Amino acid sequence: MEPILEGLGLAFSLYNMALVIAGVLIGVLFGALPGLSSPLAIALLLPFTIMLEPVSAICMMAALYCAGTFGGSITAILINAPGAPPAVATAFDGYPMARRGEAGRALGLAAVSSVTGGLLSLVVFIVATPLLAEVAVSFRPPEYFALTVFALSMLASISGRSSLRNLIAGGVGVLISTVGTHLGTGIERFTFGFHELTEGVEFVPVLIGLFAVSEMLVQSQTADMALERIKSVVVKLPSREDIRRVAGTVLRSSGIGTFIGILPAEGSTVAAIIGYNEAKRWSRRKHEFGTGVPEGIAGPEAANNAATGGAMVPTLALGIPGSGTTALILAALIAHGFRPGPYLIQETPEFIYAIFGAMAVGNVAFLVIGLVGAKLFARITLIPRTFLWPMVFGFSVIGAYSLSGSFFDVWVMLVAGAVGFIMRRHGFGAAPLVMGLILGRMLEETLSQSMIMYDNDWLRLLESPIVCGFFAMAVLGLTWPAIAARMAARRSRDPE
Amino acid sequence: MWRSALGRVHRTDLALSLTILALVGAGFYLSTTFEEVSPLFADTIQPEFFPRLLLWTIGILALLLPFEHAFRSKRGDSGLDEDRRVAVQPIAYVTFAAALVLVAAAEWLGTYLTLVAICFALPLLWGERRWIPLTAFAVGFPTAVMVLFTQAFQIYFQPGVFGLSLN
Repeated sequence: MEPILEGLGLAFSLYNMALVIAGVLIGVLFGALPGLSSPLAIALLLPFTIMLEPVSAICMMAALYCAGTFGGSITAILINAPGAPPAVATAFDGYPMARRGEAGRALGLAAVSSVTGGLLSLVVFIVATPLLAEVAVSFRPPEYFALTVFALSMLASISGRSSLRNLIAGGVGVLISTVGTHLGTGIERFTFGFHELTEGVEFVPVLIGLFAVSEMLVQSQTADMALERIKSVVVKLPSREDIRRVAGTVLRSSGIGTFIGILPAEGSTVAAIIGYNEAKRWSRRKHEFGTGVPEGIAGPEAANNAATGGAMVPTLALGIPGSGTTALILAALIAHGFRPGPYLIQETPEFIYAIFGAMAVGNVAFLVIGLVGAKLFARITLIPRTFLWPMVFGFSVIGAYSLSGSFFDVWVMLVAGAVGFIMRRHGFGAAPLVMGLILGRMLEETLSQSMIMYDNDWLRLLESPIVCGFFAMAVLGLTWPAIAARMAARRSRDPE
Repeated sequence: MWRSALGRVHRTDLALSLTILALVGAGFYLSTTFEEVSPLFADTIQPEFFPRLLLWTIGILALLLPFEHAFRSKRGDSGLDEDRRVAVQPIAYVTFAAALVLVAAAEWLGTYLTLVAICFALPLLWGERRWIPLTAFAVGFPTAVMVLFTQAFQIYFQPGVFGLSLN
């Protein structure tokens, strides 16, 4: 009971509440602006949160994560320009409803569904995280190695255009994590004579480069693109009839979103798309989807925000990111000197209760802020891109520099930005690379420790049933996209 | 199936695959230049083992890249060319070059003046010609950011040769 009170006390302290509200405002703002996203916001914010208390920093980022997911829906509904990928499915029915003159109703439905999904997933988060951590405490290096392999295998099925490209990007991320001094022998690897690289590549400049600088280069090509002006809109809370109509969809999508979030590497975008598809599949008015039906908004919205709570479960309990954004939160924990995983939960249980409190406050805050300020946030999209992106670049330079007061990190950021730009152009995602970068060190360390344990006999890895289970799931994770495609092809050939 | 796939090798992806393979080769070569390990560590996994394992994995995956388009087109879901259908516009290269120049000049100019230069040069490059808002932005934004970070977060920024800083 004491850790619960202590954790909630931390979350509800005036200072942390102010940071949580600031996180919500930044999240909604970044979510609403096309091109900006919550991972980008966290990447930019990360260097500055180093000065904060770790709990305060993580609470702020967790609230930003929830709010950013909703923020993207505002512009998806009002101008058919999803501010962030998880809001793509919301636009399918949100925008047609707005075009019918019911933008306020669509925004109200999105906000309430999103908050409900978020709060329901938090219940799972608070129950499942300590339980999972308790199980994970018994894990030895071989089990952790197998778990990391499983998490990386899930890159094959995360959102993005290509499983193959996701896996290559993940592999490159793991390869980058090998830069620096080899822990087992003290030998320097891939440092090219730069003493700044002896301790490895800093996460933060790479993250800023991949998310912010590469996006600036993409946006430079559309700087003169005009966005649709926002008409006056008054957000309406859903009517009793709407609530009755979408209640089942919201509950179902919350469950789907939470489950998808818990799966390593899967995130809000996958959850939203499945949430939308399931809403359609269960509906008696399937043919009306795409014309502006409430279930078409409630389904993806509940699912994408439920995935945020779900994604925090493996992130905190196992140290395995549940999504691209939680990979950044994990990087923040590491930057604050924590080793995320079961011991963090066991030694500082108040930590997860503080995050739970912050995310709950964050959800309620973005409901209020979203309802009251939707029009304002939507109008922010009218900020000329010619000013917006130089601002983002300015913050990127300051952020990368301030981490260790060195321009070397700014160069790393620029290189990462160029690489990210080229990768995006060819269909490689930034999120898989970040996952690889963060999990890489754990993968190599646990492999080395396992080999010491087993006298370099690889086959002995399979002595543990948990290892076998994770490897089996990894095989399934790698082959699932092909199986799913085959099943979909068979279904389309034989609709009956 | 393989024959038809070979006939439909995606040229851009072939070039991409060859580039990745060349980088893998370079990485492999670099892994041969690591220092010798002391005999004390002969039983542990050697420093080159893990990077080489990754390079092999990346290399094998890269070999599949040129055929991916053909396999996916067959399923009717190839959206791989969506982002590269239009050539990269010169402004992206110019923006990156400007970013390189500005960062290169940062140690000399100092952080504050670098931010002013960023906020002036990039909008100008992107076609902004409304001089009053541009000047206000180029002076106002860096000043606000520097005051915030030097005063609230106590971050030290390099003053540069002009000694201009808000520290």
